[in-house]
Amino acid sequence: MASLTAAGAAAWISRFADAVDAQRDHLTDLDSAIGDADHGGNMSRGVRAAADKLAADPPTHLDDLFKAVGMTLVSTVGGASGPLYGTFFLRLASALGHEEEADPAALATGLRAGLEGVAARGKAERGDKTMLDAMGPAVEAFEAAAGSDLATAAAGSADAAASGRDATEPLVARKGRASYLGDRSAGHVDPGAASTALLFRALAEAVAQ
Amino acid sequence: MIGIVVVSHSAPLARAALDLALEMVPEDPPPVALAAGAGEGITGTDASRVAEAITEVAGDDGVLVLMDLGSAVMSAEMALEFVDPGCEVRLSPAPLVEGLVAVVVSAAGGASLDEADREARGALAAKEDQLGSAGPAPAAREGIRFTLTNDVGLHARPAGLVVRALKDIDAEVRIGTDAHDPVDGRSLMGLMSLGAGHGDDILVTASGPDADRAVDAIRKLIEDGFGEA
Repeated sequence: MASLTAAGAAAWISRFADAVDAQRDHLTDLDSAIGDADHGGNMSRGVRAAADKLAADPPTHLDDLFKAVGMTLVSTVGGASGPLYGTFFLRLASALGHEEEADPAALATGLRAGLEGVAARGKAERGDKTMLDAMGPAVEAFEAAAGSDLATAAAGSADAAASGRDATEPLVARKGRASYLGDRSAGHVDPGAASTALLFRALAEAVAQ
Repeated sequence: MIGIVVVSHSAPLARAALDLALEMVPEDPPPVALAAGAGEGITGTDASRVAEAITEVAGDDGVLVLMDLGSAVMSAEMALEFVDPGCEVRLSPAPLVEGLVAVVVSAAGGASLDEADREARGALAAKEDQLGSAGPAPAAREGIRFTLTNDVGLHARPAGLVVRALKDIDAEVRIGTDAHDPVDGRSLMGLMSLGAGHGDDILVTASGPDADRAVDAIRKLIEDGFGEA
């Protein structure tokens, strides 16, 4: 696949929903260690609602599609992941514009806009033990490989997101509910980083064929 | 009158906090909209619902948004990107319960957005004063002296009655005690921070065209025991 199409984007969200469902209990376990034990349930409900919305009424343009995903997440997730992932997809939608497909360079620009939106919304930085610790490396890896084909760039971003997720384990949380725990938040993978790793793995799988 | 939006993770929490605040203003409550829970009994917040709530209460005088914690703040910030209600919308850093009580009372008393915002920000002062040490030794005070004869003194409900009584009176009113510097007579949280109980004296000063009316209004409330049975 040379470019991300609306069908590819819908497949991305569908695979993301499947992955979150499969990892639902694991995400909640991570969140029960350092948060309020709702990340798995919140994300599963929200991403499934987004995937169902796309399946019921498939948008033909990428901006409409990602806007629908973002607004659905905002309204259905409940926790902080709602506005955060919602912002990611709304910024991605704006950056891509009213197009039916996006080449790797355009998608890199869109992912960067999404990343910056999440950082601004959460007022967080890399190293705060949040989803940014997976999303930042993922977007950088995608940008670095944007000159090659879509599948290669997406696979690289998925690997980088997974490494970023793993690297949150020793960190002390400085944002969100986990920051209430201070030093006791160290020794656990951040649940937001874990779901973000699923997001980029789902993209890589959706564009691999 | 300004509009008020309550953003909370929990619909019962928002409802109960609002009920508590509305006890202070049985007549003419300000417009309040709740954006609480993520639907179907789910704990959480929904930026779209916050945007809707802002639209519901938006008027010329602006909207003040009070929030509980975490994603409530994020959802409210996001909601501001979704709506253009044609008036100023401000997010208050006040603690939800104390802030809501202060804002509902001051809004019902005709407070501007600035004034309500300030009242909400000062909403912790009463509790801080209550828990803190007694202040420095009192200096000589000025003002007309009244003794509080009602059982509970100038607690929340009577203080609210003072704020409301002064609503349409054109006078600057300051109220202090022997132990506490004077505060704005229209500030619920200020009045509560005086910690004036049964048997304590308050000292009232008023200036402006309706100064006498202001003092009379306060005198009447005190003489009536703030309507306590």
